[in-house]
This record gives sequence, C-alpha cells and structure tokens, in this order.
Amino acid sequence: MQVKKECVAMLLAGGQGTRLGALTRKVAKPAVPFGGKYRIIDFTLSNTINSDIDTIGVLTQYQPFDLNQYIGNGQPWDLDRLEGGAFVLPPYQKAKSGEWYKGTANAIYQNIDFVDRYSADYVLILSGDHIYKMDYNKMLQYHIAKGADCTIAVQNVPIEEASRFGIMNTDSDDKIFEFEEKPKQPKSTKASMGIYIFTWAKLKKYLIEDEANKDSHNDFGKNIIPNMLNAGEKMYTYDFKGYWKDVGTISSLWEANMDILDASSGINLSDADWKIYARNTAEPPHFVGAGARISNSVVSEGCVINGAVINSIISRGATVKKGAVIKDSIIMPNAIVGENATINHSIVGWNANIESGAQVGEYQEKAIAGEWQIAVVGPNVTVKSGETVKAGAMLEEEN
Amino acid sequence: MNKKMLAILFASGNESKLNELTLHRTTASLPFAGRYRLIDFALSSLVNSGITRIGIITRNNYSSLMDHIRMGRDWDLNRKNSGIAVFPPFGLNTSRDVYKGKIEALYTVLDFLEKAPEDYVCVSNCNIASNIDLESILDEHIARGADVTMLCHKANVTSSKRVIITKNDNDCVTDLCQVEIPSTEEKLVSLNIYIIRKSLLTSWIEQAYARGYVDFEKDILFREVENGKIYAKEIMSYAAIVDDVKTYFNESMKVLKEDVRNELFETGRKVYTKVKDSVPTIYGENANVSGSLIADGCVINGTVENSILFRDVRIEEGAVVKNSIIMEHGVVMKNGQISYTITDKSVVIGAGRQISGSEDYPIVIVKNKKV
Repeated sequence: MQVKKECVAMLLAGGQGTRLGALTRKVAKPAVPFGGKYRIIDFTLSNTINSDIDTIGVLTQYQPFDLNQYIGNGQPWDLDRLEGGAFVLPPYQKAKSGEWYKGTANAIYQNIDFVDRYSADYVLILSGDHIYKMDYNKMLQYHIAKGADCTIAVQNVPIEEASRFGIMNTDSDDKIFEFEEKPKQPKSTKASMGIYIFTWAKLKKYLIEDEANKDSHNDFGKNIIPNMLNAGEKMYTYDFKGYWKDVGTISSLWEANMDILDASSGINLSDADWKIYARNTAEPPHFVGAGARISNSVVSEGCVINGAVINSIISRGATVKKGAVIKDSIIMPNAIVGENATINHSIVGWNANIESGAQVGEYQEKAIAGEWQIAVVGPNVTVKSGETVKAGAMLEEEN
Repeated sequence: MNKKMLAILFASGNESKLNELTLHRTTASLPFAGRYRLIDFALSSLVNSGITRIGIITRNNYSSLMDHIRMGRDWDLNRKNSGIAVFPPFGLNTSRDVYKGKIEALYTVLDFLEKAPEDYVCVSNCNIASNIDLESILDEHIARGADVTMLCHKANVTSSKRVIITKNDNDCVTDLCQVEIPSTEEKLVSLNIYIIRKSLLTSWIEQAYARGYVDFEKDILFREVENGKIYAKEIMSYAAIVDDVKTYFNESMKVLKEDVRNELFETGRKVYTKVKDSVPTIYGENANVSGSLIADGCVINGTVENSILFRDVRIEEGAVVKNSIIMEHGVVMKNGQISYTITDKSVVIGAGRQISGSEDYPIVIVKNKKV
C-alpha cells in the first residue's frame, strides 16, 4: 500500500511542438532551453514542488530521451522522494492492448493506475510548454472550497486577442456555463491556461466514458471539458494574475526570453521564495574578456564573452569571440559565435557553430511583437564563415 | 572503477595566516574562483579519479564546511558504499584537546582506514586549487613500488613553512627541507598531497603517535627520505597553494588568465560545487565589464575590471570595481569605488564610498560588514 497523496500532478509533455521547427526536431518541446540556464519544463516542475505537491507523472511520447535524461530521478527539483517524486510515464504495453497516447485525455486514461496507486483525491493537469510561476496549492484550496468537480485556471486577456484562446464564459460566481474554443465573437476575456484540477473520481468516470466513445479525439479541451459541462458538473474558473506565456512558437519563445530583460514584464526569476530549479551542469563562472561589451543582457555560467552582447540571452557554455556582435538574440547552450560574426534578432540553437564573419538574421528597426522575422539556426548546425542567414530563415541539422 | 585508493583530507590548515578570511570558516571552505570553495577542487579531483571514499578531518569552525558538503551529493558522493565521512575534532576518548598535528589527527581515523577495503591512501590538505588526475599518479606510484609519492610543483617560495623537495633524475626524493625565509627563487615545492600505501601509513602513524611525534612531514617524511622510496611527482598544470591573504589574492587573480582557467576547468574533468540554483547574471544598460570572472545571480549596472564576482553580487550604477574580489551577496552601492579589495560574504559598500588597497596589501573586509 502506497502512502496517500491528496493531489497528484500529471504533466503533459508528449507533444512535438511542431511550430518550434528545428528546435524540436530531436527533443520534445518541454526540453527546449530557456532563459540562459533553464529548460521550459523547469517552470512547471519548480511550480509543482514549490506548491508542496511532491508526486508528479511526466507523460512523454515524442523524442523522450533528452527529457528522460534531464528529469532523471527528479533530484534537481527536490523530487527524489521515498514516497512519490517525479516519474516519467511513457506509453506502455498492457495485457490487452498497447498504444501511443492518442490525445491529452487518453494519456491520463492510460495512467489511471498511476494516480490510483496514490489514492489521490485530486489530479492537477499541467502542460510543459508554459513559462509562469503559480502556486497550485492555492488553486487546489479554491477547488476544495468551491466543492468543484473541475477548476480551470484562466487569465484575463485583452478582448481583441480573446479569439486566439479557449474562452470560459462564467456567471458572477465564476461558475462556468460555456466553453468556446477560439470563438470569433468572444463573450468573455477569461482565457484557459491549460491548467486543470479535477476531483479524481469524477475525472476517472469521464475518462473511461470518453475512451469508450470511438469518435472522440480523447482531448481535454475538445471532449472531456465539454462533456462535463453538458452533464452539468460543477466547474469553476480560477483567476491567475501574473506572468504567463505559452512558448509554443518561435516568436513567443523569443518574446518570453526577452521578458527576462524587462523588469516590468513580471517574470522575475530571482524571487528567493519561488526559485526555479534546473539540472546543473557544473560549469565555471562566465568570463568577460578585456574587449567585451555587454549591456541589457543575461549571461549564464561557463560562457566566455569577448565580443559585444546587447539585449540578448547568452546561455550556459556559449562562446562569443572577439569582434562578434550579438543583438536582440538568444544564444542557446554551448553555441559558438565566431570572430566578427553578427547576429541580429535570431535564435541560435544549442551546439550551433557560427563561424567567423557569418551573418545571422537582420537588424530590424521597430520592435513589433509578432511581426519581426526571427532567424533560427537549429541545434548542431554550422553556419560557414562568411555565410548569411536571412531574417526569418530556419536552418536545420541535416538528416 | 578504481577502488584502490581512499582519501583523507585535512579541512584546516593555516588559518592563522588567512586572518579575517577564516574567521568563520575552515580553509577548506574558503570561497575561490567565483563559485567554488577550495575543497571543491580536492573533492572533484578525487571523484574524477574514481576515488569515492573520502574522510575529512576537521578542527574548528567546520559548520560552514558541513553546510557546504551536506551528504556529498553535489560531487556524486552520496553513495551506498563509500562516500564522504566527516570527522569532527575530539575523535579520541582520551583527548581533552583538539588534535595537535597531522599525526594525531590521522591516529584518530586509524579505524576508518583499517576498515576500508582500499590499499592506498591519498592524504591531502584542502588549501590547494588544482585539477589533478590522481588515477595515473597512483598507477605510477604502484609501478615504482614507492612508499610515498609527494605531489609538487615549481613555484616561488613566497611564504615560510613550505616543504622544498630535492630529487634525482629518477624522481626519487633525496632531500626535504622546510624554508623559514621566503625567497623569489623558483623551487620544487610540495603541494602537501601524498599517496601512501595504507598498511605503511597506519604503521608509521601508530609508531609516531606512540613516540609523541606531532609533525607528519618533519617527524615521518623527513626521516624516511634516506630509505630512498619517496618519490616526487611534479604537477605541470596550474596548482595554487593558498596559505595567506596575499597568496589568496594573487592566486585568485591568476584565474583571470585564460591558460589557468583552461587548466582548472577545461580538462574534461569537471569541478563540482554545491548547487545553489542562482539565476543567470543580468547586465544592465550601463554595465561595463571587462577582464572579469562573473558567477551566476549577479546584477551588474556599474563598471567591473579585472575582478572576480561570486554569486548574487550587486553592482549598482556608477560603482567602479577594479582588481577586487567580491564574495557572495556582496553589494557595491551607487558610485562606490573599490580596488585591490577582498570583500567577504554579504559585505555592503555604501553609496559613494571609496576603498583601495594595493597589490601587495589587498584590503580584506570581514563578513557582513557594512561600509
């Protein structure tokens, strides 16, 4: 008999993240580097442990090796526990069947035994592709106080952007009466953040029913939540105020990184009461050479900087050689920027090698979010000496 | 896996001469090179050489060391078999005092040594910053049939009490002496890292302790030279011995040189330390940093030249830091200026304050002080 856990977290980390192109060709989206020394999944894992939830299943499917290795036994997040902790849950062969995760709901369905093992009363459903700091425990207390069957975290978005989100229409008590996926005429500004708390017994019932329906997409947003609403279950929204960003696209990933440089963005990584943990790679402090110039930038451990770095994120172990100029860009771990290379408004993937004199991206005068053309050099790609990578281009590793 | 050697480290060394820097800590836990403590170099060299049974003998002020090492996980030393054992002082029932010298200290851990399955012992001080492949040195030690292999390097004898080695062409030690007067001449200086066959070490220690000897070097090694089985192994890469404020400052500044950093950090053998989950360093609009080693978690808005900033240091606008070492959580407020200064942990230099030492006499500002 396992020790009982009031709430078990399930993190959906199986998606490919096709919109990140070259960056997710060989790793799952949650394993993509972020903010100099983190990976995207660090935020959800850190939120979980900081919320005193110590049992988390990480559902992987697409390119899982990097993610499996990264999570390991969960120690960097204090998730190596005698009872509970972090578990990587890939799809597996069962006595009667064995199949891939067909959808988000199916992924949880296939792991009903895992949740049951801890006799959990509640299940927290998370996705591994958002950058935010949130106390899930407060949301859980809200869920319990409301006597809800399902609580959905929402953020108020500007009405003109509301049609890009799943919108929750609620009564004055925050009780949901309607859910609209990307409505053309939004009636509310409460956008779903993809974070749900379910009373486990209820969810289990709906998962089993959904699985029996051969026409279902086995998806939370498309099936489970509408089904529960139609059946008149008690569903509430939970207002979250604070920094939150979906980093599913190149431009949103770039913007979220840049938000670290903007003190007013609210992302604030240096909050001692809400640390974001990451697996450490034991690198020395970074070294700034005599001819270097760094302003309004983030530089991580193990870097050697001898060029100019402006409004940029330089991730751990990266090298910026003499005469190189990096502006408005993200340099991912262990990338090398050669002498006199220029990088503007770009994302340079991990282990990429920008040889001397190469030009990546173009300088763009006006900073209009979403309209800028970000050049992406994929992981392990070499841009040869003197070559040019145009704005908006995406270079991929061969094969 | 190499299970042939275990290690005994002495956490305390020459505190008296490190003055303010070891007021609250052992030499082993003295911060070095931006994010490390001196013992990290010894522990990392050992772990990277496959040595995982490590006893650390402490004398005083060892709470900072215990806090740093915890269960040894950050060095991959939280093992079911072997791992770290910390020996507090007063190891013997009969002792009313803290041990007087290495011989007595080693006597208190004879039990630990005898129970261990390893046949060789690496005995080392913790005031050394170097990245050493001990595995190949042990192989050499065994092949030679040596009693003791003393690790050494060529250096100027800047402070007294260092052991000077004279050896013949076969690396066999022919003479050991302790200089009392510092000189500028380059000599072969012992790093106080020894490799010894365990059975030999325990019998030496038992005999020496019975006779009331204190000094491991003078009372044992110096006497054993005539048997011709003590060998010297010169370490060609960077090695620093830190035994006073001046060497601490000078050796720290050497880490700003590329070749020294490469020899410490780019060997393929990583240097591990306690993980603190600091955020990456943030440079503001007015940051002006050059020739400096900067750890994570800093916020820099001023000028930093030829300096070392440890984790979570804040340099405010208009502040100027030159040729200085600022330890964890240090703050230099607006327009503050420091040069040739070592500020211990959590020191705050007030707005507009100016402090300058000189290259020969860097100023040390003690922990938690507000200037």
